[in-house]
Amino acid sequence: MANLILKNVSKTFGETEVIKAVNLEVSNGEFVVFVGPSGCGKSTLLRLITGLEEVTDGQIIIEDKDVTHLKPSKREVAMVFQSYALFPHLTVAENIGFGLKLAKVPKAEIVARVKEVASVLRVESLLARKPRQLSGGQRQRVAIGRSIIRQPKVFLFDEPLSNLDAALRVVMRIEITRLHQNLQATMIYVTHDQTEAMTLADRIVVLNEGRIEQVGAPLELYEKPANKFVAGFIGSPAMNFIKGTFETADERMFARLGPHVMEINKPDLKPGLAIEVGIRPEHIAIVAPEEGTLTAEVEIIEKLGVESMLYLKTEASQDLLTVRTDPRQTIRTGERLGLKLPVSECHFFDQKGNLV
Amino acid sequence: MVEQVATLPSSREFNPWPVVVFTCLLVLAGLFLAPTIGVILSSIKTTREIAEGGLWNIPTRLFLGNFVEVLANPAVHRYFLNTLLVTLPATAASIALGVLAGYVFAKLPFWGSNLIFLVLISGMFFPPQVILIPLFQFFNSLGLIDTLWPIIFIHTALGIPICTLLMRNFFATVPNSLREAAILEGANEFQVLTRVALPLSLPALAVLATLQFTWIWNDFLWPLIFTQSDEKRTIMVGIVNLKGQYSVAWGVQGALSLVASLPTLIVFLFFQRYFIKGMTMGAVKG
Repeated sequence: MANLILKNVSKTFGETEVIKAVNLEVSNGEFVVFVGPSGCGKSTLLRLITGLEEVTDGQIIIEDKDVTHLKPSKREVAMVFQSYALFPHLTVAENIGFGLKLAKVPKAEIVARVKEVASVLRVESLLARKPRQLSGGQRQRVAIGRSIIRQPKVFLFDEPLSNLDAALRVVMRIEITRLHQNLQATMIYVTHDQTEAMTLADRIVVLNEGRIEQVGAPLELYEKPANKFVAGFIGSPAMNFIKGTFETADERMFARLGPHVMEINKPDLKPGLAIEVGIRPEHIAIVAPEEGTLTAEVEIIEKLGVESMLYLKTEASQDLLTVRTDPRQTIRTGERLGLKLPVSECHFFDQKGNLV
Repeated sequence: MVEQVATLPSSREFNPWPVVVFTCLLVLAGLFLAPTIGVILSSIKTTREIAEGGLWNIPTRLFLGNFVEVLANPAVHRYFLNTLLVTLPATAASIALGVLAGYVFAKLPFWGSNLIFLVLISGMFFPPQVILIPLFQFFNSLGLIDTLWPIIFIHTALGIPICTLLMRNFFATVPNSLREAAILEGANEFQVLTRVALPLSLPALAVLATLQFTWIWNDFLWPLIFTQSDEKRTIMVGIVNLKGQYSVAWGVQGALSLVASLPTLIVFLFFQRYFIKGMTMGAVKG
């Protein structure tokens, strides 16, 4: 297992720059998740690490060795593909042992190692089957088996769970976590699903338009997003954003949100600056209409059992605000509520989306 | 219900189209089968019977003498051997080259590869008559006239466009991720081809093998041009030669025609199961 360093890595396809000078250090045994919307370059970044795509500029270092111009097979990385990419004409055992066979490992050793890997992934009973005779979850296990058998330095996962149904995804997520704990391997995992990112990662790398927006532990990103993009991307349901302006009066500072004001403490801001207040659905407190910072009308209630989501119409924002509440609270559609926004839980962004 | 059934014929108008189509197909089938039937009929009659009653008479008894004569004729053995010596290497070589070129066009495109592909495919549209004389002069200058080599070379070359086209299109359906997975597992490009792409392309190979084998086996023009002595003739030219040797021996010629078409039939039957396999491949989602 090894560390991985990306130094100023960029990639252009024709005129379009899809990866823009990315710098990243992944330490030995770390589980790093690349997350971002479709087309943000996360899969491309993964393919650059594998060597399936050549970098346009920059350096890739695996275990203190510059692999930037090495062939994929010489980089000692393994990848699990979104489509599993199992060879349809080979049995499960042949699929798992494919790389060893190419490396001319003695037959007896291949058989032994395939058995070992199969038992780790609990696919021993399937070894004689062809991929088309397997379920999605089984195929995924075989694909993982093929990647771990060669004991690569870095494991790469390209949206491995996106073809599975929701229930199976949870199971496989736990299995991948367990695998990481057992192997203590350096793993890089690409997903657009932020739940997967939050649950699996030691560190999350949020990508947007080919750039790293923020790198950090899951809770760090959740609690201290560096900008509006990260704030909006991490967390489900997403953070609420309310547009407003920064104002001062009598040496006190306010955020004006439509007809409402809330007192804040941001001494370094210029009066009149357009700002945006971000607050997570669970941090908005429901109070009586006259006591709240904002007043709102309940438009939709989603009862999820463990919690309820309220979608509220306010005068402060054109978008509906989302509030997470206790399901036992008796709130009806159309009801008027007061909302309290605790300043300590609010995030303030300027018009460019940067934290202020 | 009973009433409804009773009124059905009047309520449903007679549709003449299926009858017309069926009749046309029947007539066409008859037309296409007629030569084959003629050949079969003449092959099981004596020359005398043919001379007396014509080609189309149903014989009163089964006469297998024509087949015996054909199969016992050492010249026929030579024709068969020559045809095999041309057909097998030319089929194998054209498919092998088509596989290599098709793989590059499908999976390793480079700047201008599409143009080269088009140029290559346009080779299919050259009528053989256009290249006949230059090729004769060329092989003559090499001293290869009256050998089997020119036929092998020409059939290999003429087969490349169709083989490349078919293999390229088939390889294009092999997912790129399979190639990439194999490469990450340590395979080089040739191993990707032989261990992943080709095993998945058996149906295409079966189609090509049948097509090329039949086409080369049945060819008449090129052997006629490039061979002169009887020892170098292939089977299709041989059938014509029989005529010269035994006056107008319809029966013998018919018998040899049937025997000569057997290998192509066998090749088709052998590869047929791969056609079926190809058609059902991936049809059932696991």
